[in-house]
Order: sequence, then C-alpha cells, then structure tokens
Amino acid sequence: MKSKGFNTVMMVCLWIVLAFMYIPIIAIIGMSFNATPYGMFPYVFTTDWYVTLFTTSNLLPACWYSLKFAFCVTLAAVVIGTMTSFGLQAYAPKWANRFNFVLQLPIIIPWLVTGISLLLLFSFLGSGRSEFSMFLGNLIVVLPYVVLLVNGRFLSMDRNPESAARLLGAKPARVFFDITLPAIAPGILAGGIMAMIMCFNNFVVQYYLIPIGVQTLPTLVFTRIRSGYQADLNALSAIIVLVSVVIVIALSKLGFSAGGLFGMSSGSTSKKGE
Amino acid sequence: MKTHTKKPFNPVALWTSPSIVMLLCLTIVPLLMLLVFSFMDRNIFAGQPWPGWTLDNIIRMVGSDTFWRLLGKSLLTAAEVTLLCIVAAYPAAWAIAKVVKPQNRSIFMMVVILPFFTSQLLLIYAMMNLIQSGGLLLTMLEAIGIQGETWLYTNKATILVLTYEYLPYMILCLYSSLEGIEDNLIYASLILGASKGKTFTNIVFPMSLPGLLSGILLVFVPVAGSFMEPGLVGGANGAMVGSMIDTQYSGSLNMGYGAALSCTLLIVLSVIMGLTRLAAARAEKTIGGDME
Repeated sequence: MKSKGFNTVMMVCLWIVLAFMYIPIIAIIGMSFNATPYGMFPYVFTTDWYVTLFTTSNLLPACWYSLKFAFCVTLAAVVIGTMTSFGLQAYAPKWANRFNFVLQLPIIIPWLVTGISLLLLFSFLGSGRSEFSMFLGNLIVVLPYVVLLVNGRFLSMDRNPESAARLLGAKPARVFFDITLPAIAPGILAGGIMAMIMCFNNFVVQYYLIPIGVQTLPTLVFTRIRSGYQADLNALSAIIVLVSVVIVIALSKLGFSAGGLFGMSSGSTSKKGE
Repeated sequence: MKTHTKKPFNPVALWTSPSIVMLLCLTIVPLLMLLVFSFMDRNIFAGQPWPGWTLDNIIRMVGSDTFWRLLGKSLLTAAEVTLLCIVAAYPAAWAIAKVVKPQNRSIFMMVVILPFFTSQLLLIYAMMNLIQSGGLLLTMLEAIGIQGETWLYTNKATILVLTYEYLPYMILCLYSSLEGIEDNLIYASLILGASKGKTFTNIVFPMSLPGLLSGILLVFVPVAGSFMEPGLVGGANGAMVGSMIDTQYSGSLNMGYGAALSCTLLIVLSVIMGLTRLAAARAEKTIGGDME
C-alpha cells in the first residue's frame, strides 16, 4: 500500500480503537469473578455472583421473559419479512425504491420518537401500555432488518431454477417451498437472529410500551443501573457477551460478513455507487 | 389508459401487503398523529376522547428557553460524538480494509461489531464501571501516579458513552466504502505523481463519502435523540432534548407539548441530514471534477 510507516500507524490506531471497545467489556467479565463488591481490588476469585444470578436475582426471570417475548416478535417478523421480501421482487424498480424508503423509516427515526408516537397511537386506540402494544412496537422496529437481509439473498440468488420448475408444471406453492425457500433460508436465518437480538436489546420502545408490573431485561437493567454497582448484573453481562461471541461466530459460519448484516448501511450505499 | 404501456401487475407483489399495512399503521400514522397532537390541548391519557385544537403547545415551545438550549446542546453533542467517531473510525476502517490480510478482514469486522450484539445498556454499564471513582481506570492511573477525577455524571461521560456505543456503526460504514476502493487506483495516483495528501483528497476521501454519509446518518440522528445515556451518566446537568421530551411522557404526561417538541426535533434533524447530503453531493462533484 502506501508507505510502511503509514500502515503501522493505521494498525496502531486500529488496536487502540479495539482496546477502547473491549477494555470495559473485559473488565466486567473480570469483575463478575471478583468477590470485592466495589471496584477492582483486592481481586479475590469467586463464582458467588453466578450463584446469586441463578438463584435469588430478579434478572433471570426478566431475561426469560425477554427471550420469550423476543422469540414471538422474531417469529412474526420472519414470516412477514419473508413474505414482504418475496413480494418486493415483483415490484417495478421505481416502486421498490419508494417502498425501501418507507421501510427504512423505522431505522432512521430516533427510537425515542418512534416510542412516543406509538404510545400516542396505542393510547388513542385504547390498548395503551400493554404486551400487545409492545409486541407491535418491537415488530415494526425489527421488521426492516429482516426484509433487508432476505432481500440481499434474493439479489444474489439464481432465479432460473424457479422459472424452470414453473415451466415444468410445478404449482407456485411447490416452487416457493422447494426452490425459493431453501435458497433464501440463510437470509431468513440471519434476519431472524438480527431481529431476535434487536428485540432482546431494544430498551426505548419497550420502555414506553411496557405494561405496568412487567419487566423486560432492558427495562430492569435500566432501573438497576441507576442504583449503581450490580454484582449479579456483571455475571449476566459476562454470559451475554459469551452468547454474543457464539452468535457472531455462527453468523460468520453462515457466510455473513459484518457489512452484509447491516444491509441498510453497506447495501444501499454500494448500490448508489454502482 | 397509461397502464397498457406498463408491465402488467404481478400478483406476487400482493405478498407485501401485510407490511404495507404495518408500515402505514405503525410508522406513517403515528408520525402524523405526532403532528396532529402538537395542536391538541388536552391529555389523551386522562381519558378525554377528543381534545380540542390549540396553538398553546407551539407558543409555549417557541418561548421556551430550556427547549432551544437543550436542542442546541443535543445537536452539539451529536456533532461532537459524530466527529469523535469519524476520527477514531477512519484509521481503524482503513487498517481493516487495506492493511490487514484479506483473509483476516472478516474476523476483524466481526470483532468490531460484536459489542453491537450485546445490549446498549450493558455497554453503558460496563463503561460506567470502568470510569467510576474507584473503578479500574482511575485505580490504574493512580498506580502510575496520575490523580484523576471521575468523568462519571458529567457531560463528558455522556459523550464518551455515546461514542462508545455508536463507534461500531461508523467503522462498519466506512469499511464498506473503503474496501471498495481498488488498490490499483491508489497506486496509479501515486505513480502518476500525486502526493499522498492529494491522493487522499482526490481519490480516497470522495470514494469513502457514501459510507461516511451513512455513518453520519446512523450516528448523528440517534445521538441527537438520545435520552437514557444523559439520564444514566450525565449527572444533574446532563439533560438533553431527548430527556425533556421523555419527561413529557414518563413524568408530567404533557402529551401535546411533548408531541410538538418531538416534531420540531424530527424536522430539525431532517433538515440537517438533508443539508449534509447536499453538501456531500456537492463535494463529490467538485472534488471529482478535476479528476476527470
């Protein structure tokens, strides 16, 4: 590339950035095994916080609730998102672009505005803060990611086998389930994983639409962070980081590059550049 | 009829109808409601079915010093965070796209986006623990003889935490643009006698503009609308415009006023993003011009 010294400087910058990103995370994992409740030192190894997490902590029930909730939202998002992406392929390019613009609104609009506008809507309709409202609110936030990821798969797949099957007399449903669906399955899976993660982590929309008396993990974490140091939260963080590592490895094994996961950031720009 | 010249309507397109309904009902309609309720005088939560029309919210907003001060502060914070992200992300993205061996690039990018997969709140919490008084950072600094005061519960902490949260987006966007620049193009420019600076301003920078733009969009907008970060780490004087909007809903239930504030925020953000886009398009043209 350019001169060697310049490259070295760039690599040093990269490592500094990575250090900035990972030191807090590694510190939390370290503290989850530390018996000293405040701060770091003296460092005494313990697994007590994990025992607390799995026995008395209220984090675990909230975590299960969030997982169940995220799973329901993901299921709906994957079904509707796949249908949308499938139908979108039949759009004229001009209309597909318009549709994509509206589709990206939930990504672009700050979640704060999405949250309160949905609270207005649901209060007006009478459902107010409820699981139903929270479900729809999270669904609209994660749906675009599923559609964009499945779209990416449609763009790169070979559409000829479908025409061949149709010519050979296969019914539309058979063509879809035997040919189209297997071809776009990795996109659906990645979309599902993204939807699950986004929904599991989405604090803002849940904060505005959550029914009173119910806690999802993000809203509970928010409440508890305000009261300072949380030993069992350290343990849960360590577990969540570990699970994230597994998910990221699984996604890369599925053949998704980091850029491909955020269809809207890299995909839309690269299309413009072409 | 015009339709005869067009392609016949493909019924497969009907599969998009559920999401059209959803986007309409859950995105477009709520945004319109936000606009309409800016002109409503009573509280929907209080059980009054159809509030009356009023301009009070708008008048109160225009006259509110706090709102304009906090809006300015939010925009300034967003600009600072975006700038910090660009400064940190550009060399890092360049290193991954151009210096790291091609087979290792995806590993580095996975490492970069990993924090995104853990929740934002946990990232905030991790950073809070690191920088708190008695936390790892200050303890370490003390060990090498530097006495520091914690940033936690100041505006600096808000900027730090927001930068920490949104940095991966910026790296990702810049990387996807920088990766697309062919090495040969840079070699050609250098061999033909352009200086390194000129190669950067005339080739690398214009070609990274699309990524930079989407990065700015993905960082600036959510940061300008953030409310939980200033609430958690910003301390007593940490409030931003998002916090003020939030108070109208979670605290005082001043729905019409909150709607007016959010509409204004959304309009201001759209204008800023539109102007950024225009400026970028112009820059691309003028810089690209003398290349052709």
